[in-house]
Amino acid sequence: MISAALQRSKFSLNLQPFKRLYSNKQTVPQKTTHDEQIKEHRESGLTTPHPPKDVLTAEVISGAPETLQHRQVRIYKPTKNTMQSGTHNTHHWRVDFDILQGGGRWEHPLMGWSSSADHMQGTNVKFQSKEDAINFCEKQGWDYFVSKPRSPKFKTKQYAANYYHSPGKLRLAQTK
Amino acid sequence: MVKLTVDGKEVEVPQGTALIQACELAGATIPRFCYHDRLAIAGNCRMCLVEVERAPKPVASCAMPAMPGSNVFTNSERTNKAREGVMEFLLANHPLDCPICDQGGECDLQDQSMRYGSDRSRFFEVTGKRAVENKDFGPLVKTSMNRCIQCTRCVRFANEVAGVEELGTTGRGNDLEIGTYVQKTLDSELSGNIVDLCPVGALTSKPYAFTARPWELKSTETVDALDAVGSNIRVDSRGHEVMRIQPRVNDDVNEEWISDRTRYACDGLKYQRLTNPLIRVGDRFQSASWPGAIATVADGLSKSGAKGDEIQAIAGSLADTESLVALKDLLNKLGSENTALDTKRGTAPPAHGVDHRSNYLYNNTIPASEEADAVLFVGTNPRHEAAVINSRFRKGYLHNNTDFGVIGDKFDAIYDYEHIGVDAKTVGDFLSGGVKSPFADKFMKAKKPLIVVGSAVTEHDDGQSVYAAIAKHVEANKDRFLTEEWNGFSTLQRAASHTAAYDVGFVPSQQAESTKAKFVYLLNADDFDAQVIPRDAFVVYQGHHGDHGAQFADVVLPGVAYTEKGTTWINTEGRAQLGRAAISAPGASREDWKIIKALSELVGKPLPYEDVIGVRDRLWEISPALTRYDELESPSAASVGLGLAEMAKKGTPVTSTKAFVKPLENFYQTDPISRASVTMANCVKSFVKGVNSEETAVPPAETQAQKHA
Ligand code: SF4
Ligand code: FES
Repeated sequence: MISAALQRSKFSLNLQPFKRLYSNKQTVPQKTTHDEQIKEHRESGLTTPHPPKDVLTAEVISGAPETLQHRQVRIYKPTKNTMQSGTHNTHHWRVDFDILQGGGRWEHPLMGWSSSADHMQGTNVKFQSKEDAINFCEKQGWDYFVSKPRSPKFKTKQYAANYYHSPGKLRLAQTK
Repeated sequence: MVKLTVDGKEVEVPQGTALIQACELAGATIPRFCYHDRLAIAGNCRMCLVEVERAPKPVASCAMPAMPGSNVFTNSERTNKAREGVMEFLLANHPLDCPICDQGGECDLQDQSMRYGSDRSRFFEVTGKRAVENKDFGPLVKTSMNRCIQCTRCVRFANEVAGVEELGTTGRGNDLEIGTYVQKTLDSELSGNIVDLCPVGALTSKPYAFTARPWELKSTETVDALDAVGSNIRVDSRGHEVMRIQPRVNDDVNEEWISDRTRYACDGLKYQRLTNPLIRVGDRFQSASWPGAIATVADGLSKSGAKGDEIQAIAGSLADTESLVALKDLLNKLGSENTALDTKRGTAPPAHGVDHRSNYLYNNTIPASEEADAVLFVGTNPRHEAAVINSRFRKGYLHNNTDFGVIGDKFDAIYDYEHIGVDAKTVGDFLSGGVKSPFADKFMKAKKPLIVVGSAVTEHDDGQSVYAAIAKHVEANKDRFLTEEWNGFSTLQRAASHTAAYDVGFVPSQQAESTKAKFVYLLNADDFDAQVIPRDAFVVYQGHHGDHGAQFADVVLPGVAYTEKGTTWINTEGRAQLGRAAISAPGASREDWKIIKALSELVGKPLPYEDVIGVRDRLWEISPALTRYDELESPSAASVGLGLAEMAKKGTPVTSTKAFVKPLENFYQTDPISRASVTMANCVKSFVKGVNSEETAVPPAETQAQKHA
């Protein structure tokens, strides 16, 4: 079992090596020998297999339920709430689980509350950096996806811009 | 560069930076109400006061440029005193109704008063606090004008971004009020954003009023699927219900805005849902089990005797990329190439072809839309088809002196434009220089010209020739249209699935077009003409809402909506983004690609992928761009040129005088989700039909009674 875990190849979408350039040809196999074409394509060397990573994942010894291994986590930097100007909750990287599809939640028939069978729904872990988060997920043996963080672009602003002259017709009638 | 010291820390900022920005760069947080990154500076709340060495008084850091060598203190006693004073003034007239205010918990005033507020005030007016009448802004924005602190963010947004010039201020000093001068609703596709901008609870969301508190919500960061912009959104859910949808900052796509459909159509996710597989028995549907329903489909397929192209799949606007690929693979395995879209002319190969990606992409990327000098819209109404991109055009109009010309239906734009004509022939005339007008002059000479081709062209009978005419013009003016840094040919898609469908080749072959289908598989397809489906065909509908498409079905397979699945969406620029499921799907519905996978097993042509990662591997095989998430690879000028050359060869000179037909009747109801939404129905009543929203709120029976009384 341990060796199986060692062999486990980690999949991360953004680490996927992309070798093939976009081709103008029809890339979708058109005929019924579909499987063969897919196989042929895989063997053609145009796609690069993902090398397995050599980590002993915690799942092997931690005794965590095996179902956990079938779930994906996402690593992301929470975005700023557009309702407010503060940025407090946006400085860390967060790891949390994708929801359980099908029956993860239901409405309690008596009270109308929402019940859940998902023991990871309230769990999230915070990290200082993306690398820490990735490292943690790899150690746990979780499949992860890293979202690219977005922060506003810097653009200088001047109060004087309110009074700039624009040639030609009037484009902005100030209403303030 | 300007060098200055903030709280003892030295920073270097570009010339012309506001002091507040400089302080932020230095890591100091400045409280503010009126300053907003994306709006003009007003400088009227005075909350951002800082102390600058040798300045006689505290200065408003937002309205002050960063000066070289100045020494700024953002946390000194003097600054804090000054801010406390400002806060006291603000609170003098602010009602103390946080417990019943919807902004509670995410209110800037609430937060900042924790630091700068005093627990008692020196102001006691005999007349009590200032009272202001509420305004009626329509069914989306609820007002509680007592709470307004006159930051004028809403006014600046409406004026600069949304182009609603009616919103403004009246009165002075204590009597200053925000309003539309004469009673008028806020008729803009972006009006919901003023709810976010308002730093207090004066403007709140009407449909969301009193339903949840921010701390009860679970936020999921995902992507919108109700138009082709691919706005980044945050879905806030509680339990198994989506409570609201908020924008997420992404300067490459939606900046910080989302359209009202994106924001408010989410209540449609609760109604009209398909929760169980259904099988038609006689003239009614009967619930069935999954195995039963899928077996019935497999049975129907063999009984219908459909072979090859007689098996047809039609995909709609909400189909995700994974399920498109799965369905196409399944059909190919069954020997059919009859994969169509539910648009007009969607059952024929598209006019622009799909061999060159640049022929159907918004090549000129969303952010670059601001930089164009002259924009020609052909058969598109960007205000309805991509409201968020439209705000970029207004930005260009205001700050870049962009001029606009429109061929196609007139629309109520948020910039001035010249209407050139309505039909296909005008395109040829205009591009060959046959039209003389100020816009034509400017367009023919513009350094950065932009042609935006809408879906009405693809759906036009003579679409191919229109495309060819445009392609020829662009080719002839390559030096202006296609350069290293400028890409002047762009197609604007209007539905989230269309780019993906073209990318994976979900289009019929020439031969398939003329084949009469015997078995039709509708994947989220709801906008087709009834004639498209032959009477005797066996019809399967897979989707999440019991809308138009489900009525035709012999078997209904319940899929899930965009907030319930983590799938790939390709926006109109060709940007791949991965969504994320916020809540689990209702009832027995299943993820879309899994349904198709299950079906493939039963018809004996199993698809070669087991899990969603397998499907994405397949996506990647089709085109790596489909899984290169969050990155955009715009086609280079050379490859755009190749695509255009191909297109230029195809058409004949445009002679058709048929007008372009706008594909969207109204902005608010374009897909099954927004059609099921009560909020969107109210919007149609008050913005499209012009009924006063106060009236729409009253149940009809009551109005009747009042009339008789
Ligand atoms: S309504 Fe809100 S956004 Fe508008 S001026 Fe008042 S406080 Fe500012
Ligand atoms: S933020 Fe500077 S005056 Fe309002």
